[in-house]
Amino acid sequence: MMNSQELFSAEKYLVIGQDVQRVDALDKALGKPIYTADQPPAGTLYARVVKSNVSHGLIKQIKYDHAKSVEGFVDLITAADVPGINEIGYYVDDQPAICGREVKFKGEVLGLVVAKTEKAAEEARALVNAEIEELPAVFDIFDAFENKVLARIDKTTNTLKTVKVRLGDVEKGFKSAKVIVEGTYKTGYQDHVYLESDAALAIPMGDEITVITANQNPHHVQQKVARVLGIPMSKVKIITPIYGGSFGGKNDMGPILAAQVSIAAWKVGVPVLLEYTMEDAFTSHGKRDPSIIKFKTGAAENGLLTAVEAEIIFDSGGYANRSPYTIVRGALQAMGPYKVPNVKINGYAVYTNKVFEGGFRGFGNPQTQFATERQMDKLANKLNMDPVELRLANLLRKGDMTGTGQLLENEVGVGEALSKAAEKSGWYSKPHRWKLEDGKIGGLGVAVAWHGFGTSYLSREYADALVTISRDGSVNVYSGIVEMGQGSSTALAQIASETLGVPMEYIKVQVGSSEYPFTGATAGSRGASICGAAVYVASKKLKERIVKFVSDKYSINPTKIDIKDKKIITHNGLTFDWEKVIQESYSAGVEMSAKGYYVPPQGTYDFETGRGAPFLDYAYLALVVEVEVDTNTGITRVTNAWPALCAGKVINPSLVNGQLYGSIAMGLGYALMEELKIENGEIKNPNLTDYLIPTMSDMPKIEDPILVEDIYPYGAYGSKGIAEATVIPVAPAIANAISEATSMDVDEIPITQEKLYFALRR
Amino acid sequence: MPSFEYKQFHDIAQTLKFLDEHAEGTKIIAGGTDLMVQWKAGKVNPKYVVDISEINELNYIEEKAGYVEIGGATKIESLRRSNIIKYYFDSLYESLRNFATWQVRNMATLGGNLCNASPAADLAPPLMVLNAIGTLKSFKNERTVDLNSFFVGPGKTVLNGNELLTSVRIPVTDRISYQKFIKLGNRGSHILSVVNIATNIILRDNTINKAAIALGAVAPTPIRARKTEEFLTNKKPSEGLIEGASELAVKEANPISDIRASKEYRTSMIKVLTKRALVGMIKN
Repeated sequence: MMNSQELFSAEKYLVIGQDVQRVDALDKALGKPIYTADQPPAGTLYARVVKSNVSHGLIKQIKYDHAKSVEGFVDLITAADVPGINEIGYYVDDQPAICGREVKFKGEVLGLVVAKTEKAAEEARALVNAEIEELPAVFDIFDAFENKVLARIDKTTNTLKTVKVRLGDVEKGFKSAKVIVEGTYKTGYQDHVYLESDAALAIPMGDEITVITANQNPHHVQQKVARVLGIPMSKVKIITPIYGGSFGGKNDMGPILAAQVSIAAWKVGVPVLLEYTMEDAFTSHGKRDPSIIKFKTGAAENGLLTAVEAEIIFDSGGYANRSPYTIVRGALQAMGPYKVPNVKINGYAVYTNKVFEGGFRGFGNPQTQFATERQMDKLANKLNMDPVELRLANLLRKGDMTGTGQLLENEVGVGEALSKAAEKSGWYSKPHRWKLEDGKIGGLGVAVAWHGFGTSYLSREYADALVTISRDGSVNVYSGIVEMGQGSSTALAQIASETLGVPMEYIKVQVGSSEYPFTGATAGSRGASICGAAVYVASKKLKERIVKFVSDKYSINPTKIDIKDKKIITHNGLTFDWEKVIQESYSAGVEMSAKGYYVPPQGTYDFETGRGAPFLDYAYLALVVEVEVDTNTGITRVTNAWPALCAGKVINPSLVNGQLYGSIAMGLGYALMEELKIENGEIKNPNLTDYLIPTMSDMPKIEDPILVEDIYPYGAYGSKGIAEATVIPVAPAIANAISEATSMDVDEIPITQEKLYFALRR
Repeated sequence: MPSFEYKQFHDIAQTLKFLDEHAEGTKIIAGGTDLMVQWKAGKVNPKYVVDISEINELNYIEEKAGYVEIGGATKIESLRRSNIIKYYFDSLYESLRNFATWQVRNMATLGGNLCNASPAADLAPPLMVLNAIGTLKSFKNERTVDLNSFFVGPGKTVLNGNELLTSVRIPVTDRISYQKFIKLGNRGSHILSVVNIATNIILRDNTINKAAIALGAVAPTPIRARKTEEFLTNKKPSEGLIEGASELAVKEANPISDIRASKEYRTSMIKVLTKRALVGMIKN
């Protein structure tokens, strides 16, 4: 195992911490990247999904006589065509790649029409007629929780996962409390709305298959495709092209589309391109789980928390998919980044007959910490304390114990982050509520958040990378990490560049193929930090070999040799050219490629006792926002945002800003306008005309973030993953600001303008 | 998606000849920002689609004696950039400025926005309060129609299948007129109107000499609030007057509940928007 100190030992960085331009910036600006659906090979057939129009039922038969008559129709692929195991479930085996028996939601994929043109596939799919015997369906989360109707006839209960957190004795904690606040919170669906809709291209070749698709873990996709086809993983190759955004969504949809398109291509024997239209994406791909959360918080007179009790229910839809993980993450962090001596949290994920949930930036935490942070504001109000002061009194510090009983051994920057964000926003010097003209009111709101990054307690945490130096001195970095727009390829290049001592333009990062080292999912905000450590380890090995070669050749003590800016420099003033030394190393038989397998310590959680240290470390956010509420129309404008974040050592400030800006947009949509309208299990707004995401004109002025670099000893150069933490505080901060402005509790999101308008008049 | 036959003409005469022969089952396409969406959703199923986007004689903005004339296939973005429009017609300019997205404005046309006859069409209320006149040409005839009587119902106008809206004339208004356009949607921009309003008020000696108010998305067609206009005429602007006008405007509308807003919310917003569109008169 790596000595953790080595990962962040440099005193001065050359590339790390710099605003290095993204390695893909120019190509993307010039429109050069080729996306999955852009250039299918000649002879490719086109597939479209056939979907259920019933929420719950049993498939009797699928008729497609009319579809056959469409010119260009080739085949209808159904569950009967699956050569291997028809199973794509993530946590449990409960989800078929193509549904063949029990339909669990409207929009579920029952088959694929394959045709010679997209148009024919589109035309033919409308003519496929699935006869489904309807069964009673359940849509309401409480009805499902109480098992009033079973969402699935193959289960005896709708509850698919329970999780608990137990610390101390909550009864005692509430008894010793001076004030107690209780609330019930509801959060809605959220769709990822990635720019590039779901698509996958499968190319069969003899007894092998190659699948090109956006995903977040090519090796996982490889495993799923091999399983549905009943062939060894070695016969399946997954290529991740440059792609247009994921936010967790394509971690689910990558394997699902790859499995579906592979089944089709395997049967017809030629390449098949499967694309979901925007409407298909809305009706049939995973979403952020809606939630209902009952929360009780107690505090002493001085504001110190005495107890937290919560009951959390996540609506998983027709399949478990990621819910068993999202509910766990959400529950384990529901007490917030606070010192709470007594905790009792129960979390449940339930099946309903609606579209299934999926992985989504924040992974359970945006739901639960919305409730946490609303509770903190209510508590402050009841205690007559300032909301920032109340939080500061309770925030975790190094050496404290979290609500799951985890001792925090590393630096914890959240207190400093909140103080600085509050200071910068003028929190202490200006009113938190002010009147504006024409019925408008201004308000300030604050929220903090934490997010355990990495996979940690869930599965063994490790990372792998291969670094190769070519004879001309250029460097290739290979890893199973996926670049989905977040910028990990740039960060990995920076890590290789810094470690090897060669400029960025020498580094080429190649990621996303199942042929590159298996490094787990690019999820849990782990790409740059944890997988970056593997790149560091490999690069370090190579650097040491080069240094040793020079040391041996010129009889110089290796500790007196360094590599900087493609020069091998000795303490006594000798410099050697990088290219020359690499050529000489090759001639001397020095191995110029190295693997960097990296295994950090493992998180643990005891599901029996409800205690543990589930994540190695946490990223923290503090956010102050200013809103203007137009009481005459219900319209809320978020006008300013003052963020502060604790991401350990920041590898690339621009990339962090990118995550932050995107998160503020996404969190703003989640809080104010993104509303999936479902009636009897049917999504009424499966389009971007009526499922509204924020535009530029909805964005606040975002101040430069305050960076509190609380070093994480097991991440590359001390970095933490920040991509998800950034979204968590946005909705509660906005809700707190609206509540402050209007003196009305905002406990349900999205709080659309119409909802707010009528709520203000109740 | 059913097929259609695509025709493109480069002059009005050819287009009208084709329309005369194929009045049934033909749809005109200019920018396609409405038609293509409806076609993909299966809401329209034309046999022929006639493209008029390359007809130069339909693409112009010209100032003439007493009026400004605009070709039917003039792009929204061209109108938004026109100094003539900006100079004369505050409410129309404001509507153009808030019209959809830049990409849509580059494709969509004046004629398309009107002939699609959405109750929420953003150009309709300002053109109605400006008393704009449309010219409808067919192979054999030509007629003009006041845009205030152009709309018949959702997606329906007085235009016959063999006719083309070739131009719109807007009488040049007195620069002392007080014009407003306000749009309320469910987000800051790039959005369909939940309610929109346009006003055109002539004030003389602090008295309302003429009042025109049009509302969108609150009835089967964009409407003029005639009783409200009458109520305002010959009165001096005051807060009380505006309050009364806003209450009257509510009574003139007949909004529905749909996926974008409830009838109740729309009703409330008519009042708010009417007040906001008129309150500036007091300061003037």
